[in-house]
Amino acid sequence: MTDTTPGLLDRYQFQLRRLHSLSGIVPIGFFLLFHLLTNSTAFLGAERYDTHVQQIHDLPWLPVIEFLFIFLPLAFHGILGIAIAWQGKLNVRQYPYMDNWRYTLQRITAWITLVFVAIHLLHFRFAYWFGVPEYASAHPYFFAFTQKGFLHLWLPAWLWICMYVIGVSAAAFHFCNGIVTFCITWGITVGVESRKKLSLVAGVLCIVLMLWGFVSLYALTTMTRPAHGAAEAARGSEQRISTPYMARHETPSAARE
Amino acid sequence: MDKVIHFKIKRQDGPNSQPYWEEFKMPYAPQHNVISALLYLREHPVNTRGQRVAPVAWESNCMEEVCGACSMLVNGVPRQACAALVDDLEQPIVLEPLTKFPIIRDLAVDRQKMFDALIRVKAWVPLDGSQDVHEPAPRISPADQALRYVYSRCMTCGCCMEACPQYHDHSDFIGPALFGQVALHNSHPTGGFFKADRLHALMDPGGIAGCGNAQNCFKVCPKDIPLTHAIGELGRQTTVQWLRDLLMK
Repeated sequence: MTDTTPGLLDRYQFQLRRLHSLSGIVPIGFFLLFHLLTNSTAFLGAERYDTHVQQIHDLPWLPVIEFLFIFLPLAFHGILGIAIAWQGKLNVRQYPYMDNWRYTLQRITAWITLVFVAIHLLHFRFAYWFGVPEYASAHPYFFAFTQKGFLHLWLPAWLWICMYVIGVSAAAFHFCNGIVTFCITWGITVGVESRKKLSLVAGVLCIVLMLWGFVSLYALTTMTRPAHGAAEAARGSEQRISTPYMARHETPSAARE
Repeated sequence: MDKVIHFKIKRQDGPNSQPYWEEFKMPYAPQHNVISALLYLREHPVNTRGQRVAPVAWESNCMEEVCGACSMLVNGVPRQACAALVDDLEQPIVLEPLTKFPIIRDLAVDRQKMFDALIRVKAWVPLDGSQDVHEPAPRISPADQALRYVYSRCMTCGCCMEACPQYHDHSDFIGPALFGQVALHNSHPTGGFFKADRLHALMDPGGIAGCGNAQNCFKVCPKDIPLTHAIGELGRQTTVQWLRDLLMK
């Protein structure tokens, strides 16, 4: 006899799909906005960037927050998303409607974002697995450390920049189109007109998020510290990157003054 | 003038045999639709190579786009063949059976899974007592009547299912047509007695969670049924039902 009882994934399909839809907005979407906000402070200068990154590192229970509100939802959304993506048989060639294009792009950008997030995590968060110093060890020269990650780590800078431009664009589209589908799924925008209006707002938001990300990328890859602290910063970050374990103990508390 | 109507038809002799293409040419006459042309071909089943072959099989009933039986792909578009006017179509006219349903023969498909799904979601109005209930018929506002009339035009033809990227052999998705029927019957004063049952059916595996928001269903519907509106409405109703189940049990 074959077992015909549906698996957990099937039995709780409705609840899981709803949570999948929700998790894309809260917390992942909010995290994306917060992440873009912090990154874009680089445009205001390296010092502002260092200050804001330090504020995040100073949060109490940071590893718990990171796990509960970033890694866990990302893993849930990503793994369930892979299962969902296999369910669709794309047919945009036969039915080239605008909404069908968005349905198709939502799945394509999902795959791109998934790969990008994995690369991004390995590039900065888990680079220490490959012998690069931990990000936290860069304290308080996060800007210089990040810049070095783009300009002098593993790959040529142009390749990193290309990857981030594509990745940020895909994430922005996936999030903004996800807002529209979230509102359909949960029954917030019921009528066709309301959907059109929300799609317009989401389209504008998508462009804003892309530009916002590009500004950060531009700042992090091209700007340098103001002249008066430049030499010290370069020396400081270089030393810290090359000797991570010592750096943590040596870090002067008032290095920037 | 020997003007012709040129057909290219995807044929299949039985449910499990291999499909093949066959071409037919018939003398032109004005105002043919695809079904009337197929009727002519049934009388003269000779293909373009001059061979007399078994006539093409298809299904049709009403000839006025209300029964849903003659759904097929006409030049790649899922629609009612009886409403596809030959004079409006590009030739050769390519006819294919719907791809989302089991093929019986040639252009005839078995849409039984749609009818099974209608039973699953209780798409009917329950009898309000088997004797006189001493109540007049429920009153419905003209605005509600207008929306419900549009939903009631569904003929279970399967065009929306054909265009839906989420509906296919390997998915358990119930398909878009059903949402219009659930929205219709949930909004009926007596039909609403089964509202919770219908919503629970939609919250079961393969229900509304299977929708991917591609919204092709609404675009291809020959009766312009606002299926995406129904999906949004039922998204809202299932959200409320879910909270009700969570908080009031």
